Amino acid sequence: MNSIQTTDTFNAFHEVWEDVDSSDGSLKDFTIAIKDNIATKRGTTTCGSKMLEGYRSPFNATVIDRLENAGATLVGKTNCDEFAMGSSTEHCAWGPVLNPWDTSRVPGGSSGGSAVAVATRMCQAALGSDTGGSIRQPAAFCGVVGFKPTYGTVSRYGLVAFASSLDQIGTFTNSVEDTACIMQIIAGYDELDSTSNPEPTQNFIDDIHTPVDTLRIGVPSQYRGGNNEAPINDAITHAIDTYKELGATIIDIELPLTDVGISTYYVLAPAEASSNLARYDGIRYGHRTTESCKDLFELYAKSRAEGFGVEVKRRIMLGTYVLSSGYYDAYYKNALKIRRLIFEEYQEAFSQCDVILGPTTPTVAFKLGEKEDPISMYLNDVYTANTNIAGICGISIPCGFSKEHGSSLPIGMHLQAAWHDDAKLLRIAQMFESATEFHKAKPECCS
Amino acid sequence: MNQRQPELTLSDDAVRHVANLARLAITDEEVIKAREDLTAIFAHIDCLNTVDTNQVEPLDHPTELINHVRDDTVGKSLSQEQVFSNAPAVKDVYFDVPKVLGDSE
Repeated sequence: MNSIQTTDTFNAFHEVWEDVDSSDGSLKDFTIAIKDNIATKRGTTTCGSKMLEGYRSPFNATVIDRLENAGATLVGKTNCDEFAMGSSTEHCAWGPVLNPWDTSRVPGGSSGGSAVAVATRMCQAALGSDTGGSIRQPAAFCGVVGFKPTYGTVSRYGLVAFASSLDQIGTFTNSVEDTACIMQIIAGYDELDSTSNPEPTQNFIDDIHTPVDTLRIGVPSQYRGGNNEAPINDAITHAIDTYKELGATIIDIELPLTDVGISTYYVLAPAEASSNLARYDGIRYGHRTTESCKDLFELYAKSRAEGFGVEVKRRIMLGTYVLSSGYYDAYYKNALKIRRLIFEEYQEAFSQCDVILGPTTPTVAFKLGEKEDPISMYLNDVYTANTNIAGICGISIPCGFSKEHGSSLPIGMHLQAAWHDDAKLLRIAQMFESATEFHKAKPECCS
Repeated sequence: MNQRQPELTLSDDAVRHVANLARLAITDEEVIKAREDLTAIFAHIDCLNTVDTNQVEPLDHPTELINHVRDDTVGKSLSQEQVFSNAPAVKDVYFDVPKVLGDSE
């Protein structure tokens, strides 16, 4: 605990917990941090929001019970963008989180605190949540492994809802093998989550070091080129060469809906958020205004206006608008149709290849305050949002460094695989990791 | 009919209407900022109109699971004390709220 408090000059943690005796189990040696939007009976669960300041969950999320039963030591709660809405962890009520590779830059988001906790080795692993890239993008910015499982693989019970059809809990680690160890514990059906997958749990560990035979890697033309910073394109070219040397076949594929993914996402996710966040009414829990209110409506409106930050209000209004009478068909229903087209586009792609390879992000970590206008912030998720829209799995693993901006900044490679091919995806990621050293690099502060 | 074409420029009144629907108190300054931000976002989202979605069925969820029901048996649930433990105002065994109907005084 003390070492975390000494090391955490990055505001990664909202709360650090005292050590307690853990039970025996396969995660006995793991210290794990928890994103602050996952409910824990210990400490508070604030979602980085004044709305939930001091909120103490009366129950544990399913993943928390599973980790504790497997012997993991949970070390505390990590800061995130408010209600997981953001790509920089600047929109956190408890202050921005800093990137340990260059503290003038953001760690990515929304699970920025979890990414930093693992990148700085303050703990071995962390849980995050990924609705449009909120695990993979900060993993790329911080040089760690970030995994978003197939929708329904990990129970969402106790994950504070943002966009329920897109949200999925996943992991941050410094190796693919550690990801497999944690997934083996947290994956699996949970009757408390009606969207959790009832099929038997995959085995993530046994074959993790067995390369996938006749591996076919799809590289979409839409993931290459002008939108990406040059060092990112170079790193991806090197990654493709590495896989070729490992015997993989590279296949050119097309994902023409990549570009409309973000717009689709920014209709669907705010629509679901506006509905999910209606629960914060200042009555049963959460912030209540201290101003006198003449009626219930005023109590709701003032409590919510005071409790929510700017980005959350923006998305609630956006979502309310696209669901409102007269606009539902033109925006929301149309976006759901495009969702099906994106789903089918991936089906077609995975009939040709085992995995899709590209960069996790078009740029490396950007400066704090650099992306003030919402759209430039949203475009960070251009390569990751469609994964959630279709519900497939994706992982970001370290694949290089950019020195273009002075400091040495990590680059992430994004691998996406088909529905329920999670264990195979980890094996494919492990092949690259075993052949490279990028995942071993640490920021100067902790080397 | 739910077929109105999207407007790319929002009015202040439209922003106030949406804030009202979303139960968010909003200041005049916030209306201006929200109008600008939302207008820019809608301009960006407008690219969705370039996709041909005729004959496409909406997909509202990525899984094919349908109506997952559990056994209808009594399970464990939160105690009243737990339920009230995070409430901003409680009176006896109720959440305390301003008057809902009639005069507010």
